[in-house]
Amino acid sequence: MQIKKYQSASSTQELAKKEKNPKPWTIFWAKEQKVGYGRKKTAWFSPKGGLYFSIILPKSNIEDLQTLTVLAAFVTAKIIKEDFKLEPFIKLPNDVWVNGKKIAGILTENVIGKEIKLSVMGIGLNTNVEKFSKELKETATSLKIELKKTVDDEKILKKIVNGLKEQLKTISE
Amino acid sequence: MKLKLKLKDKEYEVEISEKEEGVKVKVGEKEFIFEKEKKKEVSTPQLSFEKRSFSEKEIKAPIAGTVTEIFVQEGDVVKKGQKIILLSAMKMENEIISDSDGKIQKILVKKEQKVKEGEILVVLK
Repeated sequence: MQIKKYQSASSTQELAKKEKNPKPWTIFWAKEQKVGYGRKKTAWFSPKGGLYFSIILPKSNIEDLQTLTVLAAFVTAKIIKEDFKLEPFIKLPNDVWVNGKKIAGILTENVIGKEIKLSVMGIGLNTNVEKFSKELKETATSLKIELKKTVDDEKILKKIVNGLKEQLKTISE
Repeated sequence: MKLKLKLKDKEYEVEISEKEEGVKVKVGEKEFIFEKEKKKEVSTPQLSFEKRSFSEKEIKAPIAGTVTEIFVQEGDVVKKGQKIILLSAMKMENEIISDSDGKIQKILVKKEQKVKEGEILVVLK
């Protein structure tokens, strides 16, 4: 997997969609996003400390992409549960909650002309975000807030991507 | 075929014969020719094809979903690859792009409208 790292980006989804030569499983990873967004262009608060990345997905049919989107929430929740012993809750279709607060969000965007030209999956996981604004702190949390310790972003990123590769293999078989 | 007809006490000798040009009916000395019924020309109704240019292109919904955003207006000139419509469907966001250069002739959907798979979203010329 090729990882392109950015200190700051407007949005990793935008970077991935603008990629001239989109190779499957290329990852765009930013330490912060200025204009992070989720479904229906709702803002995704993306300060330094969180894990924000977008993956160029291999060309698949639309049903598989939909399944993979739901499975991405499952893969993320599994890591939260197994590696950090927290109790995640998957808020379908594509959010993960811990203790009643949102911790991760997934967004898949497809670019479709005659056929699917490009599929990009973005994942935002509040890993080491230390605090949220007054408006958000009732609805959002992070691994650091829940665990009272810092987690390794790169390790989590690779685990999520590898988990997705496994899942895609299974569903496209 | 000859036959006699009696009409109002008067007798007529009628001869009916078939000729090339039609049926000849001879009554007394008078001849009447009934031309063969001309085969009626059956006029087939012209299949009226809707007048349309073959360069017209329809952009259809690849999947069922909700139109979340319309990036163009009627009359806009668009380039191949340009974003036309954002369709939220199957838990994903789908950017429908133009497959060719052209002009937006008609937009058939509205924002927040639910569309079926295959439904025409935009007509491009």
